[in-house]
Amino acid sequence: MKTYLISLLLLIASIASAQTTISGKVTDQKGEAIPGANVTLKGTYDGTSSDADGNFAFATDETGLQVVSIQALGFKTQEISITCSGQPVNLKTALAESINLLTAVTITAGAMEANDEKKSVVLKPIDIVTTSGAMGDITAALLTLPGTSTVGNDGRLFVRGGDASETAIYIDGLQVGNAFGSTASNVPTRTRFSPNLFKGSFFSTGGYSAEYGQALSSALALNTLDLPLRNQGDISVMSLGGGYSQTLVGKQNALNASGNYYNLAPYQSLVKQNFDWEKSPSSWDSEISLRQKWGNAEKGRSGFIKAYFHTEGNGMTIWQKVPGGSAGDGRGDRVQLNNRYSYGNISLKHSGNKGWFFYGGMAFSHNRDKFNINLDPIRQINQLVHTKAVAVKDFSPQFSLKNGLEWYVKSYSEALPNANLKRRYTDHQVNHFIEATYYFSNRLIMVGGLRTGHSSLANQTWVTPRFSVAYKLENQGQFSFAAGKFKQLPEEKIRVLQTDLRNTAATHYILNYFIVSNNRTFRAESFYKIYDNLVTYKGLPANPKNITQNGAGFARGIDFFYRDKKTIGGTDFWITYSFVDSKRRFANYETKVQPSFAPKHNGSVVAKYFVSALKSQLGTSWSWNSGYPFNNPNLADEMQSKTKVYSDLSLSWSYLPKPNVIVHVACSNVLGRSNVFGYRYASQPDETGTFQSLPISQGAKRFAFIGLFITLSKDKAANNLNNL
Amino acid sequence: MKKLTIILALLFLNVCFAIAQDSPYQKAMKKEIAKVIEADSLPELQQSANAFARISELNLKEWQPLYYNALAYTYQGLNATLTSDKKDEALDAADALVKKADALSPNNVEIVTLQGFVIMAKLSADPASRGQSLSGQVMQTFGRALSIDNKNPRALILMAQMEAGMAKFFGTGPEKACGLAKQSADIFVAQDEEALKAAILPTWGKSLAEQMVKNCK
Repeated sequence: MKTYLISLLLLIASIASAQTTISGKVTDQKGEAIPGANVTLKGTYDGTSSDADGNFAFATDETGLQVVSIQALGFKTQEISITCSGQPVNLKTALAESINLLTAVTITAGAMEANDEKKSVVLKPIDIVTTSGAMGDITAALLTLPGTSTVGNDGRLFVRGGDASETAIYIDGLQVGNAFGSTASNVPTRTRFSPNLFKGSFFSTGGYSAEYGQALSSALALNTLDLPLRNQGDISVMSLGGGYSQTLVGKQNALNASGNYYNLAPYQSLVKQNFDWEKSPSSWDSEISLRQKWGNAEKGRSGFIKAYFHTEGNGMTIWQKVPGGSAGDGRGDRVQLNNRYSYGNISLKHSGNKGWFFYGGMAFSHNRDKFNINLDPIRQINQLVHTKAVAVKDFSPQFSLKNGLEWYVKSYSEALPNANLKRRYTDHQVNHFIEATYYFSNRLIMVGGLRTGHSSLANQTWVTPRFSVAYKLENQGQFSFAAGKFKQLPEEKIRVLQTDLRNTAATHYILNYFIVSNNRTFRAESFYKIYDNLVTYKGLPANPKNITQNGAGFARGIDFFYRDKKTIGGTDFWITYSFVDSKRRFANYETKVQPSFAPKHNGSVVAKYFVSALKSQLGTSWSWNSGYPFNNPNLADEMQSKTKVYSDLSLSWSYLPKPNVIVHVACSNVLGRSNVFGYRYASQPDETGTFQSLPISQGAKRFAFIGLFITLSKDKAANNLNNL
Repeated sequence: MKKLTIILALLFLNVCFAIAQDSPYQKAMKKEIAKVIEADSLPELQQSANAFARISELNLKEWQPLYYNALAYTYQGLNATLTSDKKDEALDAADALVKKADALSPNNVEIVTLQGFVIMAKLSADPASRGQSLSGQVMQTFGRALSIDNKNPRALILMAQMEAGMAKFFGTGPEKACGLAKQSADIFVAQDEEALKAAILPTWGKSLAEQMVKNCK
């Protein structure tokens, strides 16, 4: 019995002595302790966590050669080989940080993103639809951001002294031709696409990636929703028309179809209009989208294919007074417009194994405008085909390389059927881009790219370099710098007159500071942009002569953005100020002038306030600029005059009586200010030698809107706030 | 004969013993599950998360370690002392783990419920800017969980909490939310907790339901 006990004791002792204690300390590479690191003896249940000082200790019964693995959130896992022999093992490890794309530095120079997932964004996608005064127009919401100018008689996007044609618009990476509705001159237009199609957007006011080309000033990339949440029907009844949209969702796929009809006639018969409408604008549109997902991202390969088709038609007839016209001319020129537009795209993305990611697709835009100006019919057809294939390879978490190939077919034709005149062109453009992204750490990133292009019509090949770098400071603030060269072929109406025109050019330099902290966002950006090879001509814009590309100019300035969701309880507001100093020699100007679309000082304030007691969101926005330059032929020099200050205060009220019903009421320019965007002058002086003029003004003093939106689904909480 | 009975009895006992004997996996899981339910500090929750991470390394086909690992991170993401960046970091970790668990065991009511819980925690990290985009997703995810098993007490109580928030906002009265909470509490009372624990299935949420039922009265 005794022997038995002794041998048992010995056995226990030998087991005890076979235990190896592993202890140590986990720090980062600066020596700061990492608490909560997971320390494991690989292949066993043995292990522990580091304490508040980074220290750890545990014992194991394993013997021989073993591997200790040390993991912590935000750091690269480290593995260390040890020998367990009963002797204590002490490990001191300094973990290297891993790149965390969600919190790492991002390049914010020029870029403003609306995204639900990322941190360094200025907007959430929902802001696009809830911004007062935007009336559900994507562009109008973007015009409350820095770097943009509101041009009230146009409605398109004007960025930093650039004209509207200098912005390229993409849906799921594929370019959209004629993204804005066709309209008569000085009648503002809006984006053709509803904001509730999109889950996010990327708006760049300069210095953008080599992925985007043929745009001198700006790129706007809109990304459509992936899989909708549920089956639902959305009904909208508005003062301007109505529509219905049906969504069907399967496990891996979804289908959405919608149709809308708008007619401004009833509204315009009730509310006094400044414009002389013979037939108020009316339009219909219908669209269908299909999505199919495959694979499982957790198991490696997965992907997404989206198909989207949009078609619409619209028309209007307006009388426009002619400056200097005699009283007998009555209503002036009669402009009748009939537009048909279609856009379709198929886009695909696929993540493969070994860090490969592919995306691309094909898009087609077709726009036909039938203008009848008095008795003269004009027919214009614009077509754009864009094909794109991109491969991205992540060589490591730090380094990735993107390679893309694009093929564009752009064609334009215009005809005067009565005179039996027609001219047209077709241009093939092939582009290649390559872009390398390198994270030196979570604080420092550098991106370099090169975009090469060739146009068959211009018979020109070009190479444009792009570069950007960003550095994040200790306090979460970050600086970014971007520079690049950008090319763009002249507008189709000029190109069709002289098809051998070559690229216009711009060079951007941008310095940006950006900080998001505690529900407050501040962004400051200064820029310098040089324009070259701009189109110049003699004579009137409607009939240009001696077209050359001797124009040049610059735009420089600084803009600020501040957003605060915290300081005033329940209120979310942002303030923007943009200063633009721009001069260019272009079109038929003899000297460098400040363009009419580049007011010097621009500002906006947007505020949203949620009143729970009223189940309502109240919104207001105010936009302001220091006046539009215009040319008065009665005075010496060019573009020597300026309109009075522009100012517009809008209010909106969204009321949710039930979870699935929204009533939305909005009014622009509530103060009833008479804004003037410039003056039109007679082409010839009258008998006293004076050029007569007419102001370019608003279509009506105010624009009021009321709408009822109902969502039908099994999920009673669903509503279509996105439609506002 | 007597001897034989004894031998048989002993054999039987032995067999029973062998059946009742937990594998190292089960032993480790039971120990850590007990700990994570009790954990009430960030370091404890991180220790739990780490422990479950160690267990899943060795049991690549089991969804439960991933599930509890995600749960430990979700509790961290709900900790009021953390900044919203830190909450997001924990919740992103939870989200990745839930997705892994879902890949191992698709259409599992517990995993889908936890997925909803993670999104709910993301929403509460920044309700002002995420409410609009995430509340629909949360409701939809709990709805999916209940369509797999409408008697899951965790899906019911979390859905009840969302419904209570909605009802408060729209002033529609708490009846629906309280009904769900009552249903959940009754199921918690009726279930055989020991059997669930033995099968390392989730049992948490009872106090949540009891609390809400109390508030409803």
